[in-house]
Amino acid sequence: MTFVVGENCIRCKHTDCVAVCPVNCFYEGQNFLAIHPDECIDCALCVPVCPEKAIYSEDKVPEDQLAFVELNRELSAQWRPILKKKSAMEDAQRWSGVPEKLQYLER
Amino acid sequence: MSFASEYKPSPKAEAFLASVDNAKYDRQIITGLQKFFDGKIPDDMRALYSSGELQALREVSGTFNDVEARMPVKVTRHYFEQAKNSVPLQTLIKASPAETMDLDGAPDPGRQMDYSPVEGLIHKYEMGLIYVASTCSAHCRFCYREELIAKKEVTRPDGTIAPKGLAQIGDIVAYIEKHNDIVSANGGRHPETGREQLREILMSGGDPMVLSNSNIAAWLSALAEAGIEQIRIGTKELAFFPDRFDATFFDMLDNFHVAYPGVKLRMMVHFNHPDEFLQKDVHGRYIDNIEGGLTWLENTGRAVTNLGKREWLTIDNQAPIIKGINNDPDALRIMQRELRRNRVENHYFFCGRDIVGHKAFNVPIEEAWRVLNESQKGLSGVEGHARLSITHYKGKTEVVAVTSDPLKGVPGGEHGVIIFKLLRSAKDAPLKGKVAIAGRNPNAIWFSGYTDRVIFDELGLFDEYIELELKARESHKTAAVA
Repeated sequence: MTFVVGENCIRCKHTDCVAVCPVNCFYEGQNFLAIHPDECIDCALCVPVCPEKAIYSEDKVPEDQLAFVELNRELSAQWRPILKKKSAMEDAQRWSGVPEKLQYLER
Repeated sequence: MSFASEYKPSPKAEAFLASVDNAKYDRQIITGLQKFFDGKIPDDMRALYSSGELQALREVSGTFNDVEARMPVKVTRHYFEQAKNSVPLQTLIKASPAETMDLDGAPDPGRQMDYSPVEGLIHKYEMGLIYVASTCSAHCRFCYREELIAKKEVTRPDGTIAPKGLAQIGDIVAYIEKHNDIVSANGGRHPETGREQLREILMSGGDPMVLSNSNIAAWLSALAEAGIEQIRIGTKELAFFPDRFDATFFDMLDNFHVAYPGVKLRMMVHFNHPDEFLQKDVHGRYIDNIEGGLTWLENTGRAVTNLGKREWLTIDNQAPIIKGINNDPDALRIMQRELRRNRVENHYFFCGRDIVGHKAFNVPIEEAWRVLNESQKGLSGVEGHARLSITHYKGKTEVVAVTSDPLKGVPGGEHGVIIFKLLRSAKDAPLKGKVAIAGRNPNAIWFSGYTDRVIFDELGLFDEYIELELKARESHKTAAVA
């Protein structure tokens, strides 16, 4: 199984998750992070630290975000790993909790 | 992963860490039962649970008896492949409603929180234990750290209630350095605990081998720089995913040894049954190795051989004796013999602790002793080192002997006795070596089974259980009267 980063991450990208991941399975895009589904070891440490509550267990991804399961797989295969926490995106506050951010996802 | 930002590795540590390569591993883990319920698993793994078993599990799902809430369910492809031909291994890895039929047990077995000065650290004996991961590649159903793995709320001595947290490098290094400074300043003994220097740390959890080489290396070098002389890595990964012990891992270990040649590593491994590492023929029999001994699974054998080649590294096996898995003298005999042939020392076997749900797993204490004793008949002295230990709050306690003949003139000893001896005692071990003797109770799965037949107890081993019984009887009396 795996965990999945959902749309709440888009344009916020706090990267608190990266600080706790024991296996470096986060991959970084411009405004989103993806979890590599084969590398994730289901330790669930990232879930509580995300300020946007963007991360779900694969079994618990909300219905309207099911597309993110495949997105995480696809994008983590293309992007570079992120190993250290960095600052959130500049407009993170403005985009926090905004619905339907998938349209803004930069591949 | 960025560790506690306060901690800065030394230039030497940085150089070592820069040399570490990480690999990607394909464990093919299946987490949870939902995928089995939904049939969303590889065809060949469907057979792990029968439809009747899944139905029974579905029925308790979401209820108070939820099996996954007590202990998350996880299996690797490698372990599944061995379990296909092994009932003991299936018993180890398969969830069952029997686990939650009786949820009696201690929320913090051994009351570890009493010895946790820093989050993620247990400093009870002379050694320290740190939680570096809260998950493993696969989960043993009988895990006695289920409160950590399942992230259950645990009450600390100061009254706060929170799941157990992982250790942070900066905090642990600070603790070690401060502790050892105090000891040095006090002529070699800590003024409060009487302990000497903290020299040995056990990396535990969960399973440290789920971490990347870089994460493990960060811990190894930080502990080495803090003055730790022996680092243990407690892991069951040799059974769950032996390919983890690949060239990149050994390169990291070798580079660590070059950087810190005085720091010894002790791999504390966990094999419960020889089916976890021995090949079987089509009839289910182990296969003789023409060069001697039995034939190991290729990747497991390779991993153990590669560990064994490094003389600055020791390997010790420890395992609990669990109903339906290894309460089998012949299996244990084979396991002890084969492990010792391959540079793995047999360290301890354990009686199950009083974890939540322990009644589903624990073999009676006296039976565990009989099984181990039987298994060691036919082993040579070096093969039969393992003692039977049961962890009491006061410390690791050896189950030394169980006798059958009546002890003449000793009330309570009419059917023989069971003899306990304290092996490990907290702080500066004041109680080590002390003995407790009770009359036989073949059904006892925990100390509470002996409260009415204590013959001799210089340890106070049974005190709190006797007290609990008295309290229970008092409240029954008042209830009956009322």
